[in-house]
Formats: sequence, C-alpha cells, structure tokens
Amino acid sequence: MGNVVHPSARSVAATSSVRARKLADGVATVILWAMASSIIVMLAAFIVYMVYLGWSALTPSFIFGMPKQTTAGGGIGPEIYNSFYILMLTLIFTVPIAVAAGVYIQEYALPGMFRNVVQFSAESLATIPSVVMGLFGLLVFVYLFHWQFTALGGALTLTLLNLPALMRVTQEALASVPDTMREASMGLGGTKWQAITRVVLPSAIGRLTTGVVLIAGRIFGETAALIFTAGLSVPFNHPYDLNPFRPAETLAVHLWYTHSESIVPDVDQIGNGSALVLLIMVLVFNVAARVLGRRLTTHFTGRSS
Amino acid sequence: MIAVQARRSHRTELIAVLGLRFAAGFVILAMVAVLGYLAFEGTKTFYVDKFPLWTFLFSPDFAVDAGHPGAAVFIVGTLAVTLFAIVVGGPFGIAVGVFLAEIAPYRMTQLLKPAIEVMVGIPSVVYGWLGLTLLVPLIRTHTSSPSGFGLAAAGIVLAIMILPTVITLSEDAFRSLPGSLKEGSLALGATRWQTITRVLLPSAASGLAVALILGIARAVGETLAIQMVLGNATQFPQGLFAPTAALTTEIVTDMPGATEGSLLEHALFSMALLLLVIAMLLIVFVRVALRRRS
Amino acid sequence: MIDAAQPATASTAADKIVARDVDVFYGSFQAIKNASLSMKAEHVTALIGPSGCGKSTFLRALDRMHDLTPGARVEGTILLDGEDIYSPEADPVVIRHRIGMVFQRANPFPKTIYENVIYGPRIHGERNRAKLDEIAERALRQAALWDEVKDRLHRSALDLSGGQQQRMCIARAVALSPEVILMDEPASALDPIATSKIEDLIGQLTEHFTVVIVTHSMQQAARISDFTAFFHLGEIVEVGPTNQIFTHPREKRTEDYITGRFG
Repeated sequence: MGNVVHPSARSVAATSSVRARKLADGVATVILWAMASSIIVMLAAFIVYMVYLGWSALTPSFIFGMPKQTTAGGGIGPEIYNSFYILMLTLIFTVPIAVAAGVYIQEYALPGMFRNVVQFSAESLATIPSVVMGLFGLLVFVYLFHWQFTALGGALTLTLLNLPALMRVTQEALASVPDTMREASMGLGGTKWQAITRVVLPSAIGRLTTGVVLIAGRIFGETAALIFTAGLSVPFNHPYDLNPFRPAETLAVHLWYTHSESIVPDVDQIGNGSALVLLIMVLVFNVAARVLGRRLTTHFTGRSS
Repeated sequence: MIAVQARRSHRTELIAVLGLRFAAGFVILAMVAVLGYLAFEGTKTFYVDKFPLWTFLFSPDFAVDAGHPGAAVFIVGTLAVTLFAIVVGGPFGIAVGVFLAEIAPYRMTQLLKPAIEVMVGIPSVVYGWLGLTLLVPLIRTHTSSPSGFGLAAAGIVLAIMILPTVITLSEDAFRSLPGSLKEGSLALGATRWQTITRVLLPSAASGLAVALILGIARAVGETLAIQMVLGNATQFPQGLFAPTAALTTEIVTDMPGATEGSLLEHALFSMALLLLVIAMLLIVFVRVALRRRS
Repeated sequence: MIDAAQPATASTAADKIVARDVDVFYGSFQAIKNASLSMKAEHVTALIGPSGCGKSTFLRALDRMHDLTPGARVEGTILLDGEDIYSPEADPVVIRHRIGMVFQRANPFPKTIYENVIYGPRIHGERNRAKLDEIAERALRQAALWDEVKDRLHRSALDLSGGQQQRMCIARAVALSPEVILMDEPASALDPIATSKIEDLIGQLTEHFTVVIVTHSMQQAARISDFTAFFHLGEIVEVGPTNQIFTHPREKRTEDYITGRFG
C-alpha cells in the first residue's frame, strides 16, 4: 500500500487503498465485538454451570442444617446466619462513621490540613489488601484483646476495610445534590445542618442506599479478612445466637474451608451448593441495590433520578 | 420565639458537627492504628529475630525451622501471577473499554455494563471455586501439567477478576477525551479504527496507564481466588503449570498454624507489610502520574 | 422557496459543489429546509446569518459529517464535480479526502506539529519519509506557518498559541491536497491579529482550493468572500456576489440582518 492514490481521479467511489483500510476497520470491529460478547457469554456460562451443579444440593436439610466435620450430609445453616449476622454488625459500625465522616468532608470541612489528612487516611485505608487487614484484626482482636475468634472481631475488621468505600459513596451521593437546594434551604433561614438533614440527605438517599447495598454485597462475600478474625467454626450448642463474642464462620469462608482443609467426603456437593447460594445472594444484592435506590429517590424527591 | 428556635437549631448543629468531626477523626485514628501496628509487628522479624531485611527479600530459602525465612519464592510468585494476569487481562480490558466507549450501540451497553457489575460482585472465593472445579481439571486434561494447579490457572482466574477494573477505567479514559479529536481525525478521512489507534489510544495513554496500574494493584492483593488454584508449593514457578506460591497465598496457608510470637508468625507479618508497601507504592505512583498529566 | 439566483456577474468559474433542495433533520426536527446553492471553484463562498440559523449544519452536510451523528438525516442532492456525494457508491473516506474541514476551535492532536500535519497523507497510505517532509513543508507554507515553526516541527503542537494552532489545523487540512476546504467560523476564538492572519491566508488559498466559510461576522464575509449566502431559520434566503448582497440586497430579511436589525 505504497502511495496515496490521489482522488484527482475525480470520483467519489472507493479506491483499492480505501477498501483495504475499510477492511481493516471491519475486521477490528468484529474482533472487538467478539471480545465484548465473550464476557457476556462467559458470565452466562458461569451462572448456568453453578445453577446446574448446585441446584440439587439446595435441600432444606442443607440450607438449614448444621455442618459436619467428618461425615457427609453437612449443611450451611449457621454459616448463612453468620454471614448475615456479621453483615449487620459491620453495617452498624460502618454506616454511621462513614456517612458522618463523608458528610463532614463534603459539606463542612474547609480546605486545609484536617481535610487533607482525613482524605489521605481514607485513601490509605482503601489501598490495604483484605488479607492484610485480616492480619491486623488478628493482631488486635485475637491476640491483643484476647478475644480469640469472634463475630465482633470480624465485623470490626470489615468496618475498617469498608470505611473508605462507604465514605466515597456518601461524598458522591452528596455531590450529586445541586447547591441550589442548600442555598434555598439556608436562604429561608435554616442552619446548614437543617439543610443537610431535611433537604440534601433525602435527595441523596437513593444513591446512598444503592452504594450501601452494593457494599453489603461485597461484605457478604468477604473471606480473607474473616479467616483470621471470625474463625472457621460455629459454636455447636448455640449456632444461631446473637452473642458477638464467639467464632462465626461465614458462608464464603466455609466455601473456602471445604475446599482446602475439610475432610468430609461430599466436599463437592457442599461446595456446589455454597457457591450457588453465594451467587444468588450476589444477584439479589445487585438487583436490590438498584431497585431500592430508585424507589427511595422517587419517594423522597418525586423524581426518578 | 424565633430567636429561641434559632438558638436551638444552632445548638443542634454544633453538637451534630462535633459528632461529624469525631467520625472524621476516627478515620485518621484508624489509619494510623492499622498502618502503625502492622509496621510494628511486620518489622519484628528484623528487630526481634534479627533477621536481615536483604536476606528476607532475596533469599530463596524459606526454612523457618532453621531460622531462615527467605521470602523471595513468594515475592517472585506474586510478581509472576500478577504479570500473567495483566498481560492477559490488560489488553483485553482496554479493548473492551474502547468497544464500550466508541463502538457499542446502546443496547449492547445495556447488556454489557450490568454483566460487568455482576462480575464485580462475585466474591473472590467463588472465582477460586470456579477455577478449582472448571479450569484446573481442564488444564490437567489438556496440558502436560499433572495436577492442573499453577501459574496458568491462577493467572487466568486473576485476569478475569481484574477485567472489570481495567474495562471501566479504560472506558472512562476514552470517554473523557474531547470529541473534537475524533471529529478532526474523521474529517481528514480516517476510518474509525485508524482514529482509534492513531489518535484516541495515544491521547488516552495516561488514563489507560492508570487503569492498568489499578488492575495490577488489585491483582497483587488478591488472595483466596489464587490460593485455591495456585498449588501452594513453596517453590519457584517452574513454567506455567507447576504449583507455586505467592505472598498472599502463603499468608493464608501458614498463618492458621503459626503460634503467636514465633518466627513464622513474624515472617508472615513481614510479608503482609511488604504487600502493603507494594500496594501503596502503586497507588502513590498513580497519583503522581495523574498530577503530572493534568 | 426562494431560488438561489445565479448572479449576473458570475465569473466563468465552474460549479465545484452544487446543493439542490437539501434538507437536514435531527430526529424529527428539521434544521435545514430546501437549501440550494452553487459554490464556485477557486472562489470563496461565505455563509452568514444569525446564530442557530443552520449555517454550520449546512456546511457539515457537505463533507458528510452528519454520518457521525446518530439520528441525523440528510436529504436532497449534493454534487461534487457533478457526482452525488450521498449516492450508495460514494465513500465518505474519499469525500473527506477531497473536501477538508477546519473547525471553530483548533483541535490539534496531542502529537508533534509534524505528526499533526502529515496525519492525513499518512492515513491515506503515504509512507515515503521524503515525500511526507515535502508535503509538510508545502502545507505549512500554504498555511503561512512555516517560518514560525520550521525549527520546531518535532515539538508538541499543543505548545503553539491559539492562532498558530488554528493555522496548523489549516495546514493539516491542506496537506491532503483537497479540492475544497470547509471552514466553520475558523477565527471566532482568536484575537484580531490572529484573525487577520487567517483572513489573509484564505485569500491565498483560493489559488488552489475552493473555500466555503461559515462566519458570524458580516465584516469578515465582506472582506474575504466572493459570494455570500444568507441563512435564516434553516433556509437560504438570498445568494449573490458579496458586493451585491451587502450593497443591494434583494430580500427584506437580508437587508434587516445586514443593517443590524436582528441577529
């Protein structure tokens, strides 16, 4: 394809060099389409695979039953309970702190040392890999406080892990509310706090909820940070209690455990079922985040975004 | 009456803001506590056990019982797995990012973006499980690998896991380019693909670099997914299909059995500290690169 | 509507681009109605009119830039040397090689000046380094920029001033040796000195090229163009030699615009 075929050949139709370039364009486009589609296909394949394998394992005795240490037929009841329990505990700590800090940074803090340090702290916390945070939890809650493995230790570790993300969600949700609303409220003689609680937060609540639910989904699947803090077992006598000071193996940790340490013969069965339940929960959280977000926004602002 | 109400509201606000300040201060406290305590414990190998840092980083001998915890094996393992993941997942992710920003029609975007979000939501342990039950047997039957565990399995799983990060950041990088660039190129008679390769890709280079580095940061810290398929044998990676180990997998494998205060425990914390330092360096690098470009 | 009257004093120049009954739609909104205009070869045709009247829209139809806007539709006939540029055999890539465009805001690529200017020839297949160097020099001379940049061809184009960047974009367009150059308010973002440099440039360009320029400045149109078309609300109200339009406009609307009564 040496020289420019100069279209002083006075025509508007394509020349051979133009056709070659268009061919390259066409081939590249097809390849990109294939790559993008392969992602969708791969995801669909994963989902189908998990449903196919795990469906038969989802019996009531599995979903609600106790895990077994050495024999077949173990269930995941307490693990599912622990997953939700730790999730709730984590949110109880994370939401107030992160939202408060986020509100402060976004609405009140003047540009300066304090603000920069807070943002820097949040970003630093965000770079910590989850397994490293789990080790911190091990250091503090298991060793230093002598709690051994506890649900509370796990929840506090997860709080530290998710603070930055939730702060960011809060800040973005607040930023999405136009300043005119704040000005309107304060112009009518209110304090900034009143503007925030009565006007800005309700406006932002849809986005905020979506973010919180998505983070909740991540917490539900968290493993590395919990292995060293909440432990690998469930108390045999009171598997479903509200005491936070006891080991609390979650479903995600259980999936890992069955495939690395466990010696029960039906490892595959348990794994398939656990994976499927985890997947279902992920999808539920994903959909709920969107639906809740939209509903709340319409409820509080009357508009759909 | 109005004055009383106003005073009340102001008092409420004062108390509220105090609370907010505390929360913000807590974040700082948390950061200091976490980083500080990890640094304290992670350096015990060097101060308490008097094991030299240089040897820790570069000695291929992980013989804890003999008092010699050299972590080079795991460092190399981490680098190898990360490299594999970014080489496979990086270009793929950028390509899909270009696709989303420049080529995909609305319907396709509606399908692809939720799919990517679901991928983000899938817990890493599930990816590990998928690798274990799907990929490892596949590798075992179709290659020379006796077990199927190893770099290839872990690298592929990791590549899939970092795809969403690379894709979304790449797409953002392309979308933030001014439209006049594309217009100018097309007005000169370029095809869309020529415009993408000759103008858009070079112009988005810094944004794409950020995408890749954040993908790498994600890969370095990933634990469970690769622990389930890497093989966890304390040896240097010997080709793509032999079991090996990485920093994160070693921590998870050996920590449950380590006694508090032992050399093994200290060494594992040092590895954790090393991971932390690597992750932070990557993020700092991104920030510096960003600042220079703008 | 009003027919594009052929000026009595038309030179013997041939028609380079002929637009006949052109409509342009954005979705269901009609931006251009029934526009007919002949643009003479190697002369400057100016498109004037108040903001939003469709001049840029019409200009973009001439090199098929509306192909890039989803939902945009062009109907009617546009002939380049007698051939319909919207016919099924016509290739936009070829058309944009023959018809170049300079935009309102300079849009240099983040590359060196040299790389910018030879971008066009390169993507159309030219590889010979010597030839490219030659093209770059010729184009930069034609854009009256050569003396200012000849010693820093391999530095970033983004370091140039606004006026220089715009002249570089003109050089970039000219490097392809097009037959027509479309200009969409090329000097509107520039200071008076840079503007006058560009206006001088346009005068020289007609030696080799046909120029169609959109401008919101009537003085500019009066200074540099041979023919002027007045647009209003998506229609061509009047066309004629520039002299005639500005001294003896035939339509009331034209006269109102020229005397500043609106727009």
